[in-house]
Amino acid sequence: MSMDPELSEISSFIHSIPPFDSLPKQVLSQLVRELSINYVRKSEPFPPKSIKEARLYIIRKGAMSCLSADGELVNKLGEGDLCDAFFHANVSTTESNTANENVFTHTLLSTNQTAIDNQLQVHTDEDCLIYSVQTSVIQEIGERFPSISDYFSQNSAQRLKRKMTQVNEEAILSSTLMNSSVGSFYQSPVASIDIEKTIQQAAIQMNEQGYSCLVVTEKGTSVGIVTDKDIRRRCVATGLATSEKISSIMTTDMCSIDIKNNAYDALMMMTAKHIHHLPVTKYGNLVGMVTVTDLINNEGHNAINLSSIIHKAQTVQQLAEISHLLPKLQIRLAKLGSSADHVGKSVSAITMAFTKRLIELAEYKYGPAPVPYAWLAAGSQARQEQLAHSDQDNAIIISDTMKPYDDAWFESLADFVCDGLAECGFIYCPGDIMATNPKWRQPQRVWHKYFSDWVGTPSPQALLNSSVFFDLETIYGDASILRNVRKKLLKQTKQNTLFIAHLSKNALSLRPPLGFFRDFVLKPNGKHKATLDLKHNGIAPVVDLARIYALAEGISAVNTIERIQQAAGTPSLTKASAENLIDAYEFLGMLRVEHQAKCLMRGESADNYLSPKDISKLEREHLKDAFKVIKSLQDARQSSYQ
Amino acid sequence: MINATIGNSSLFSWLLGYEAQRKRLFKKAPAGALRNFLAVPVISINTPIDDIEILAVDFETTGLDATRDKLLSVGFVNLKQQQIALNTCYHQIIKTKAQLEESNVIIHHITDSQKEQGKSLKEVVEALLKALAGKVMLVHFARIERQFLTQACYELYGMAPVFPIIDTLAIEKRRLDKRDVAYDPSELRLSNLRHKFELPEHHAHDALSDAIATAELFMAQMSKANKDGKTTLRDVLL
Repeated sequence: MSMDPELSEISSFIHSIPPFDSLPKQVLSQLVRELSINYVRKSEPFPPKSIKEARLYIIRKGAMSCLSADGELVNKLGEGDLCDAFFHANVSTTESNTANENVFTHTLLSTNQTAIDNQLQVHTDEDCLIYSVQTSVIQEIGERFPSISDYFSQNSAQRLKRKMTQVNEEAILSSTLMNSSVGSFYQSPVASIDIEKTIQQAAIQMNEQGYSCLVVTEKGTSVGIVTDKDIRRRCVATGLATSEKISSIMTTDMCSIDIKNNAYDALMMMTAKHIHHLPVTKYGNLVGMVTVTDLINNEGHNAINLSSIIHKAQTVQQLAEISHLLPKLQIRLAKLGSSADHVGKSVSAITMAFTKRLIELAEYKYGPAPVPYAWLAAGSQARQEQLAHSDQDNAIIISDTMKPYDDAWFESLADFVCDGLAECGFIYCPGDIMATNPKWRQPQRVWHKYFSDWVGTPSPQALLNSSVFFDLETIYGDASILRNVRKKLLKQTKQNTLFIAHLSKNALSLRPPLGFFRDFVLKPNGKHKATLDLKHNGIAPVVDLARIYALAEGISAVNTIERIQQAAGTPSLTKASAENLIDAYEFLGMLRVEHQAKCLMRGESADNYLSPKDISKLEREHLKDAFKVIKSLQDARQSSYQ
Repeated sequence: MINATIGNSSLFSWLLGYEAQRKRLFKKAPAGALRNFLAVPVISINTPIDDIEILAVDFETTGLDATRDKLLSVGFVNLKQQQIALNTCYHQIIKTKAQLEESNVIIHHITDSQKEQGKSLKEVVEALLKALAGKVMLVHFARIERQFLTQACYELYGMAPVFPIIDTLAIEKRRLDKRDVAYDPSELRLSNLRHKFELPEHHAHDALSDAIATAELFMAQMSKANKDGKTTLRDVLL
């Protein structure tokens, strides 16, 4: 006869609850034998008077609320939830530091519960049937099973870090590209050729050495590159003599990538620029070359192919047809186990390719621009966090040399591109933040004035505009125009604490939920919702925080993770908090990418509404941890300007 | 209130009889488990419920007739101060000579081969008597447990003890009878009562699971009936 088939029902209930799901059957059965069962009436004191020692409570039936010392609802628990408010008997209220992680494995019952958790009051909202087990029993099991001790000793940030470490490890296994540097893919040494050589000599060298690309050098320094494609397109096809110097066909404005960047970034750069060879530099010196083929061989599928078809499209109609592939690309990336960061970068790169091609088609139709300008993306595309088919947010900054009558050309450009994007599935911005709106199609000096007005007089509308237009990226045209505008802006925001305070206050009104209650999302006011809005209740608060850090610290980066990384260690954000926030952001992003992939595979449009029923209990726990991290940084931000 | 509930003015003397009978039987009992059991006084009926040690018990049998049918398995668990302690739980299948009828195998999921690995009736009854000493037995539908335990003791010791019982079915029946509204007797089944008290559904119907299920039901009943904490054993005794 097996151990306790009798308690199988209780065992399987406990087994469904993390972290106990990791325990082997026999240990689970030991744990079940140590359970006590209590029935606690609604509004009766909790824990029951008869229980004196530290215990972990597991709700079998009923509901309870956890309130902070000042009566604020912190959490609401239902069937299958753990209540660890009384897990530590007389714990000192020292808050844990992420640094001394080793300590926890030795002393489970120690100082690592946050101060807030220790002052929790628990109130039964319904009659409850409650299982409980002495802390000492959990500790004994924890000595043999680290997953148990880790769960109860770590705070939310640490649990989340552990989860994201696991996710990253999986990503390393599933895709080498994302997590290896360009250094592991580049070819070295680079085949180079002196600028004085002829086109024919270049072709011979390519044949002999088996290279499709040569770096052109002049007195030892690289001045350009020449590819076999250049020979075909700029020499053979145009009837240029092969005895001509290679300088006549080489490309001089080379872009390059530093060896420290990861291979995925190299791929994205090539996708965006529509090139197949990318010189790799180390301390500014050319050390090698990475090609699309090198990377594709390692990744199977990628965005490059799509980008390359986009570049060849001759009509808006063709572009619109290609755009149907975008959701498929997102599904494929999600299936590959790409992080949300990489999916966002890929999709943004594709959107950029669409936009660029539309601008090229417009310039072909209306002739060249009368004066220099920059076509800008705002919002998620600028942050490189776009997912398939979001709204279009764009604007144009025009050189101050423009004459009033020049605007007609830019108006035609804006209409052509925005209409084209709409045909490709990027719906018109409901807030009319588009280059077709004359307000967002202005010379540089007007943009300077916009920004200084918003920073100087932070009205509600100004704050709204700020949050959109502080995330800008040049898609096409003269990138120096935006750089100048941004430089001036950051100088202003860095000095203007009042503006930062207003922006913070505005941004912090979006609070993450507390967690989950039964199959609902629990909001801070104690009400429930059927679905979690991942975008507004999780991702947007982090994006807002990152923007505030960037503006407060004069950081020019636009991508949320880059902003947080660069803000780490500044007065705005500690390094530990930055890591926690990135973990939370990446976890939310991962859930979003997975959720959207599911939607897209069902043939539905990708939304951000996640039903608690669709995620595992463990994912709920991680989400709760992510919410806690975000909330604590919002609180810190709030107190910093109060 | 008490008289109205129980409607039996002779209860008090009957219970006095319980303790008197225990003393008398104690003198006659052979040395061993039964005598040890009888050595512990029966708890006073004026004791508040929260101070009583209770043993929730369930038997699985081959039928309803204690003289003809056999005891198949015994499960029990302690309930004290409105708390069930699973580390006190006990479950044992009994090795009997009787062949199991197919219908019973379906109900209890006890197969002949499992039964062969069981313990003797004597061992199991002694474990029960040891756990029950000084406690009050809690069951759902007392007839089975009372009759089968009595019968087993006659077989083993030639005499049977007396033991006070709380019956969750009887508690609910009294409450319904008092309302003077017709009801379906099936409402009184353990699973239906648990549903009524919004307790989780339980599907495993072995002796231990049912003992735990009965103990949970009793806690739920008391949470309604004993809000002031003044309910005594007298109020709930069968």
